[in-house]
Amino acid sequence: MSDIRLYNSEDDEVVSGLRSLYAAPSGDGYWNELEARIMARVADVELGWWTELDRWIRPAIAAAAVLLLATGVAMYRAHQEEQNIAAESMLTAPAVPVSTAIRPTLQDDREARIRFLFGR
Amino acid sequence: MTAAITIETYRMPSPSDARAEERALVVAAQRGESDAFAALVRQHQRRAYAVCRAIVLTHEDAEDAVQEGFLHAYKALDRFLPDQPFGAWLYRIMANASLDLVRRRKVRDADELPDTVPMPFRDPGESDELRRRLNHALTKLTDRQRSVIVLHDLEGFTHGEIGAMLGIPEGTARSDLHHARAALRRLLKDVRSDL
Repeated sequence: MSDIRLYNSEDDEVVSGLRSLYAAPSGDGYWNELEARIMARVADVELGWWTELDRWIRPAIAAAAVLLLATGVAMYRAHQEEQNIAAESMLTAPAVPVSTAIRPTLQDDREARIRFLFGR
Repeated sequence: MTAAITIETYRMPSPSDARAEERALVVAAQRGESDAFAALVRQHQRRAYAVCRAIVLTHEDAEDAVQEGFLHAYKALDRFLPDQPFGAWLYRIMANASLDLVRRRKVRDADELPDTVPMPFRDPGESDELRRRLNHALTKLTDRQRSVIVLHDLEGFTHGEIGAMLGIPEGTARSDLHHARAALRRLLKDVRSDL
């Protein structure tokens, strides 16, 4: 530090005056208390949205797991039911003959056009 | 032999040891260990107070600025690179917190007390004529000149450090100091002859 100080030895009184104007509290008790106040405010910050989020993470994970399980069960049941219906429909004979059952679907315009083209 | 061991055991930590210890505290605080941050507060709060006190007008405002400053530092801790000097970074934050507080006070005072001149310094004794006049002389300086002279002549910060803290070029800090000294000399000239 190459800076020249304002006051020489004759101005000690002025320097001490300045020091007393700007003196920091000297007791350890004061600094301990200030530290405690600072750390209390820091703790308030810690209880902000991160902590709030952290607090909700476990219930959220549990709820998500329950939801996932319920969805899985529902999907499994739906799948089972679909399979049962398919099996039942295979084992049950159709109420009408196949040709009768199919024929009405061949009577639309498109089919008529195809017949007309191939029939010529 | 015992004495030698005692001296060896209780020797003062070297600056590099202190730096390494501080770095470890910073890294631990960054990991979220509040005890480490408390240790950093303990280490730096007096110097932080001195920085704030040089900028704001009262002891109470300095206290507020110190708390605000540490809070800002805590929130910004993850952006701090542990290899940098922690003190310089922290004192810049303290200076910013103090400057913010001064600005807020000015706005408030302009809104609420347009015709009053605030008593800028706490001076509980006020018995000493020199101190009273010194106090008065300091009010004649600009806020920045006062901050610069206190940070430099009382707290020992360099022009470069003061410039970084107050957000001004080093040359401006130097010139502020020069003008502050000249003003104080002028204002205090007749005090000494009167006393």
